[in-house]
Amino acid sequence: MSERSVTLTREQIAAYAKASGDHNPIHLDDDFARKVGLPGVIAHGMLQMGLMATVAAEAAGGGTRLRRLSCRFAGMVVPGDTVTFTAEPAGPGKLELRAVNQRGEPVLTKSTAEFSR
Amino acid sequence: MSESGRIAAVAGRTYPPVTFEIDAERAAEFARSIGADPAAGVPPTFAAVYSLGVTAPQLFGDADAAVDFSRLLHAEQEFRWTRHPQPGETVISQGHVASDISRRGMRFVTFETETTDRAGEPVCQSKALFVIRSPQGPPPTQGEASELVG
Repeated sequence: MSERSVTLTREQIAAYAKASGDHNPIHLDDDFARKVGLPGVIAHGMLQMGLMATVAAEAAGGGTRLRRLSCRFAGMVVPGDTVTFTAEPAGPGKLELRAVNQRGEPVLTKSTAEFSR
Repeated sequence: MSESGRIAAVAGRTYPPVTFEIDAERAAEFARSIGADPAAGVPPTFAAVYSLGVTAPQLFGDADAAVDFSRLLHAEQEFRWTRHPQPGETVISQGHVASDISRRGMRFVTFETETTDRAGEPVCQSKALFVIRSPQGPPPTQGEASELVG
């Protein structure tokens, strides 16, 4: 099983916004985020998926082997949250993926990957 | 959104192809931002940029699609790769609306993107599910995705 725990920071969320080009203010501006009903800035779902992909890549023996990756964005991640990403073999060329926060709540669900061997 | 509050359905709509050069430094910066090794090549989820990222703005900017960005929730995402692009490579992505369904004041838009290389050979397919809540309710939060999609 491959596993990685990441404590999300504002700096990492801002770095992902810059690198991905997703500058939606809900990820960068607390005041804006609160105005639209969020507790403050939240991590990009795609940042969570990117972190998950690094664990899937490790389990697959390299990112270039990944052929499919999917997930549902099921929970919010805010700065200070620690998310544990795991990848477990689920048959030949298949992985079952999980991402849960420090309270044990899933933040990504229905997440699976396929890879070429 | 029209004044009557009617929501446009744009199922079947296809947007013009977008050409994108995968800048090696930007791919490396993306890799560092997710804690991946920049020397390991273009990170798989850089498809969020070269595939989904270059085409989704066409949907969001389409007046007929009338997507209220402030009520938009990215609920699900899938990528399929035939191969992963090389740093410096130019890829071409084309987005289309696979489905656009409204129910219970919620709108569900499935947006698919096909990315090929310059020879037209397949590279990546992206499938995104967006949920857009009606203006009557509060804006969506990411944690609601499970309840909304069911």
